[in-house]
Amino acid sequence: MAEQKLAAQMRTEFGKGAARRARRANLIPAVIYGHGAEALHISLPERETTRAARHANALLTLDIEGEVHLALVKDIQRDPLLQIIEHIDLLTVRSGEKVIVDVPVVLHGEVAPGAVSNQEEVTISIESEATHIPAHVEFSIEGRKVGEHVHAADLVLPKGSTLLTDPEMLIVNISEPTVQDLGVEDEAVTTTTPAAPAAE
Amino acid sequence: MLIPRRVKFRKQHHPTRSGQATGGTKVTFGEYGIQALTPAYVTNRQIESARIAMTRHIKRGGKVWINIYPDRPLTKKPAETRMGSGKGSPEWWIANVKPGRVLFEISGVSEEVAREALRLAIHKLPLKARILRREGGD
Repeated sequence: MAEQKLAAQMRTEFGKGAARRARRANLIPAVIYGHGAEALHISLPERETTRAARHANALLTLDIEGEVHLALVKDIQRDPLLQIIEHIDLLTVRSGEKVIVDVPVVLHGEVAPGAVSNQEEVTISIESEATHIPAHVEFSIEGRKVGEHVHAADLVLPKGSTLLTDPEMLIVNISEPTVQDLGVEDEAVTTTTPAAPAAE
Repeated sequence: MLIPRRVKFRKQHHPTRSGQATGGTKVTFGEYGIQALTPAYVTNRQIESARIAMTRHIKRGGKVWINIYPDRPLTKKPAETRMGSGKGSPEWWIANVKPGRVLFEISGVSEEVAREALRLAIHKLPLKARILRREGGD
């Protein structure tokens, strides 16, 4: 995954008042920690950071007042309604260091006619070099038949990555389509009888 | 329809409609979901109606999750009765939905089908809502 370069500045005031002032000035409050060092409280430019953090496990090169830090996005707090980033946790990493991350599993292809695929797990946990974290792990379900299963061990990981998730964990289940309750009877009942609260 | 099997108290106060949802604000089970943008009391009939609209559109395949449960009773006094004489009888079962809450999720169908199914479901609900995609992917 490509590194994103961002210019950061140290934060001198803390608390929700200061954080809100920073957000009004188009900055995102963030914290960077790791390797036993003291945590650094920084602010990042909103637009560039939002763009950089669009992918899972984004790797950022931060220029904090002249000092360069390599960091991995560990956690993002978003406003559920506005969808803006409120705060970011960053983890300091070194080039070549191995890190444990959750990577999305992306399926492609069409299953055999008459079958449906249910993706039971959307991410797997892997250990990978911080500078070579795969954006996602792809798997083809082309032509898979009813009753087949895809386990974590079946996924092909890129070189340098090792699987940490249980190899027996079910990722995709190919099954027959379930009969949907279309509620024809329900509708007939609800139109003739008033709502009857059941509970005592 | 969704109805609690038993409750501790038959008649409750009206739940508060202020504030935002503090949990259940992300799409976690499926690929796409409906997120409420306004507060509302969603009845069990509306939930069922939205579910039927979705399942009819996706026909075969696909999976639907309902993330809310109508566990609060609302009471109503009969028409043309004088005030007083105690609280009315339970009439509806509602889920108290606050802005930000993800109500339904869907997966196992193409994006086009999922969005259309969720659009049809939104029309059955007494609130403004939008369609969300699960985070973390590309």
